Amino acid sequence: MLRGFALFLLLSTFSVEMANCAAFTFTAIPDEDETRLHSRFDKVASYLSQELGVEVKFVPVKSYSAAVTAFRNNQVQLAWFGGLSGVRARNLAPGSSAIAQGYEDQFFVTYFIANAKTGLKTSDELQKAIAGKTFTFGSKGSTSGRLMPEFHIRNLFNKAPDEVFSRVGFSGDHSRTIALVQSGAYDIGAVNFKVWENELKAGKIDESKVSIIWETPTYPDYQWTIRGDVAKTWGDGFTQKVQKALLDMNDPDLLASFPRKSFVKATNSDYEPILKVGKSIGLLD
Amino acid sequence: MAKGAVTPDFFATENLVGTFFNTVAFALLGVAFGSIAGFFLTLVFHHRAVKVFCAFIRAIHELFWALIFLQIFGLTPVTALLAIAIPYSGVFAKVYSEILEEADTAPLRTLHPETSRLSALLYARLPDSMPHILSYTLYRFECGLRSSAVLGFVGLPTIGYHLESAFAQGNYSEVSGLLILFYLVIASMRWWVRPKLLPVYLFVSMFAMRGGAEINWENGYRFFASDIVPHPVRVAENFDLTTMMGLLEWTRKLIMTQAYPGLLETIPLTMIALVCTGVFALATFPLISPLFFGARLRLAGHIFLVIIRSTPEYILAYIFLQLWGPSAIPAILALSLHNGAIIGHLIGRRTEKHELRQDSSTGLNLYAFETLPAVYPNFMAFLFYRWEIIMRETAILGILGIHTLGFYIDSSFSDMRFDRAFFLILITALLNIGIDWFSGFLRRRLRLRTTPDDGKS
Amino acid sequence: MFDLQNVTAGYGGKDVLHGVSIHIKKGERVSFIGKSGAGKTTLLQLMYDKNRSNTAIIPQDWGLVKSLSVFHNIYMGKLNEKPTWYNIANLIHPMAGEVEPVREIACKLGLEEKLFTPVGSLSGGQKLRTAIGRAFYRSGSVLLADEPVSAVDDHQSREVLQYVNDTFETVVLSMHDVDLALEYSDRIIGLKDGQVVVDTPTRGIKKSDLDKLYLN
Repeated sequence: MLRGFALFLLLSTFSVEMANCAAFTFTAIPDEDETRLHSRFDKVASYLSQELGVEVKFVPVKSYSAAVTAFRNNQVQLAWFGGLSGVRARNLAPGSSAIAQGYEDQFFVTYFIANAKTGLKTSDELQKAIAGKTFTFGSKGSTSGRLMPEFHIRNLFNKAPDEVFSRVGFSGDHSRTIALVQSGAYDIGAVNFKVWENELKAGKIDESKVSIIWETPTYPDYQWTIRGDVAKTWGDGFTQKVQKALLDMNDPDLLASFPRKSFVKATNSDYEPILKVGKSIGLLD
Repeated sequence: MAKGAVTPDFFATENLVGTFFNTVAFALLGVAFGSIAGFFLTLVFHHRAVKVFCAFIRAIHELFWALIFLQIFGLTPVTALLAIAIPYSGVFAKVYSEILEEADTAPLRTLHPETSRLSALLYARLPDSMPHILSYTLYRFECGLRSSAVLGFVGLPTIGYHLESAFAQGNYSEVSGLLILFYLVIASMRWWVRPKLLPVYLFVSMFAMRGGAEINWENGYRFFASDIVPHPVRVAENFDLTTMMGLLEWTRKLIMTQAYPGLLETIPLTMIALVCTGVFALATFPLISPLFFGARLRLAGHIFLVIIRSTPEYILAYIFLQLWGPSAIPAILALSLHNGAIIGHLIGRRTEKHELRQDSSTGLNLYAFETLPAVYPNFMAFLFYRWEIIMRETAILGILGIHTLGFYIDSSFSDMRFDRAFFLILITALLNIGIDWFSGFLRRRLRLRTTPDDGKS
Repeated sequence: MFDLQNVTAGYGGKDVLHGVSIHIKKGERVSFIGKSGAGKTTLLQLMYDKNRSNTAIIPQDWGLVKSLSVFHNIYMGKLNEKPTWYNIANLIHPMAGEVEPVREIACKLGLEEKLFTPVGSLSGGQKLRTAIGRAFYRSGSVLLADEPVSAVDDHQSREVLQYVNDTFETVVLSMHDVDLALEYSDRIIGLKDGQVVVDTPTRGIKKSDLDKLYLN
C-alpha cells in the first residue's frame, strides 16, 4: 500500500500542469501539425516571458472554438487566431483588440486543390466543373479552409456547398485536407496557402497527384488578439508591450512556428471584410 | 498504417506518463463521484421525477457533457470529472436500484415500520447486494477509462488528445504504441484495482487535480442565462409577439435544416448497426466457448474480443474513417465490432455452463440446433440493452463528420452557437430516452432477462 | 391482541384465505397447522401487517442478512429507535453501548462467540437463534414465526421452542410438525383450503384428531 502511494505521488508530479491564473497565458488555433505543439510554442512562451518580464505560458487546444472559448473565459489572455475565429473572439470578449498580424496575412489567399484523377487544371477563375465532385473544407471554424472558400462557392453557384457537391466534409485541419485530396478520399479541397507552401517545402506533397486549380482573391487572415482587461493584472501599457514584443520577434526559429516572415501591426477594423463575409453566408449572427 | 501497427513507438508522445496518469485519474474520480451520486439518487429513485431526471442525464453522451462544461470551466480537470460523473451517476442510479430491487426482501419486512429509509437500505438490502454492486462498479470503471480516453478528442489532456494528433499526422507507430499501452492498462486492472488501494488512488488523483479547481461562476451563469437562450429571445428587448414569431421561426428552421436531416441519418444508422452487432456477436461467441474450441484457441479468441471491445468505438470509427473516407460504413462497422464483441463475450461466457449430452452433435449442427436456441433469449436481451448505447454513440460519431445529429451539434459548438447546440442535445436526449423506454417495453413484453451486471452500460 | 373478523385475502387476484375469523389474546401460545398451501403463511403475514409496530416476525428461511454479523442482525430489530447517522456509525464500528444489550441476548442463545461472525457462515441452528435474537430485541413480547424449526434437528427444535416460550409473552407459530405443535402450544388452529376448520385448546387433543386436516 505504501509503495503504491509513493509510486502515485511520483506519477502525479509528471501530471500535466493546468492553467494557472498567475501566468500570462496564450494559445494558438490548431491549424496544422498538432503534435509537438508544446515544443513549438514553449519557445515562443519563453521569448515573450523574457521580453515582458512576466511568467508566460502556452496552453494547447484541440479546436478553433476551444481557443475562442478559452479567450472569452479569460483562461488565455492572448491568442493567435484565424480571421474568423478572431472576429468571433472579439465579439464575445468586448474590449479586446487585434494587435499584430503576420506579414503574409495582409494579403492571404486560399488554394483550391484537386486530385489529378479529376482532370481539373489551373485556371484564373473558379470553374463550374467542380460541381458534383466530392469536396472537403478544413476545420469548421477556419477562415481560409471554410469561410472564404464557402463564400466563393456560394458566389459562383448561388447555392450552399451541400447542394453543389456530391459530398462535403470537414477534414479538421489544412494538413489533413492536403492528405485527403492527395489520397483521393476527396476530389477537391480548400487549403490555407501558407500550409500548402510549408508542406511542399517539407516534401510532403506529391504534385503528380494533387495540384492547385484556383487561387482566391486576397483577404486578411491570422492575427494576434489580446484581451482588453490585461492592464488590470499586468499594469498600464501592457498591451503595447506585448505588441512591441510581437513586432520585434525576428528569430527565424520562432517565426517558423507560425510560419510567418515577420509580424506587422493590425487593428480590429482590418477584419471588417471577414465580418461581412461571415454574416453574408450565415456563419456569424 | 499496417506498418505502423506492427512497429509501435511507445515514446513518441509528449508527456506520456502524465497523459496516462490523467486518463486513469479522470476515470477514477469521475466514476467514484458518479457512483456516490448514483447511490444517493438510488435512495429517491422510486420518485418518477428522479427516474426521468436520471434517464435524461444518462441520455447525453460524455463528449456532449464535456463540450458543455468546456464553455464553463475550460480545459480543466473539473470539466473531465463532471463529463464522466454526471452521465455515469444516472446509469449507476438505475442499475443500483435494479440490483437492490432484486435483493431478498425478507430481512426488510422484519424491520420496525418506523425505521428510516436509509437505515433500512443500509442494513437490510445493501450488504447482501454489495458483491453485485461492486462488480458492476468495477465494470463501469473500465468503461470510464474508455470515456476518459475519448475526452482527449475535445482537448482534455488524456490519451485521446495524442491519439487524435498522431492520427492526423499519420504517425501510426505512435498510434499503435498508445493503443497497446491502453490495452495493457485495462487488461492489468485486476492487479492494480484493489479496494484497499482505492482511497490512496483517489487521494492522489484529487491532489494532482487541485490546480485546475478554480471555478469561475460568471462563466457558468453566462452560459445558462445567456448563451443557451435561443438567439431571437436573447437579442430581443422584451418578449413580445415579434420575439415569439422569431423564436418559432428559429425552432422551425433548426428542426427542418438540422434536427430532421440528423434524425434521418441517425436512426437508420443505428438500426443497421444494431443488426450488424447481432450478427457479429453470433459469429464470434463460439470463439471463446468451450463447446466449440480447445483452451488454446479460446485464449486467442479472448484476446481478439478484448482488443476489439477495449477500443472505444469512437477510436475504431476514427481508424476506419482514415481508411475509407467519410461515409456511414466506418460508423456502422465501428459500432458493430465494439458492441458485437461485448455481447459475444457475454454470450460465450454463458455457454460455459451448458452441459452437453453424450450424443450431442458437433460443429455447425451443434451451433444451429442446440447452442443458438439455448442462448437466444439471452442474446436478444443483451442486444436490446445495447440499442440505446448504440444510439448514443451514433450521435457522437457525428463529430467525426458523419452527418448524424452529433455532426450538427458539433457544428453549432464550432460556430459558438450554444443555443442551437443545446436545443439539438435536448433532441438527442429525448430520442435516447424514447429508445430506452421502448427497448425496456419490448424486453418486458418478450420476457427477456439478463442478470443485472451483464451487458448494461 | 390479534383480532381478525371474516377476513378474505390472497395474491394476484387469487384468494388464499376465505372468511377467516380469529381472536388471539395476550399470553397465548398458538400454533397454525395444515398442509402447505392451506394459508398459514398468508395468515401470519396478515396478522403481522396489522400489528407491525409492536410485533416481531421470523419469516420462512428466517430473513437474515447473510453478509452482516450476528450483532448487526440482532441490532436491526431496533433501527427505528436511533437516528440514521447513528445507525450508519454502528454499521461501520459497533459501539460498546449497543454491543452490551445485544451480547446479553446472544449469550442466552449460545451465540456469544459468534457475535461478530457473518451470519452466512453459521450453521442452521445458529441462524435460527440469530433470527430469534433479532425478534426478541425488536419486540420482546410478541412473536410471529413461520415454520421456524422446519430446517433444524429435533433436539435443537425443542431447545429453541422452549426458549421462545420462556422469553416471549405471546407466541404464534406456523408448524409443519404436529407433535412439536401439540407439545409447545396451548392452542391449535387448523387451516384447510384457506379456512379455519379446527380451533381448540391443546389439552386433551390427540394427533389423530387432526388427521382430517391432511386428508384430501
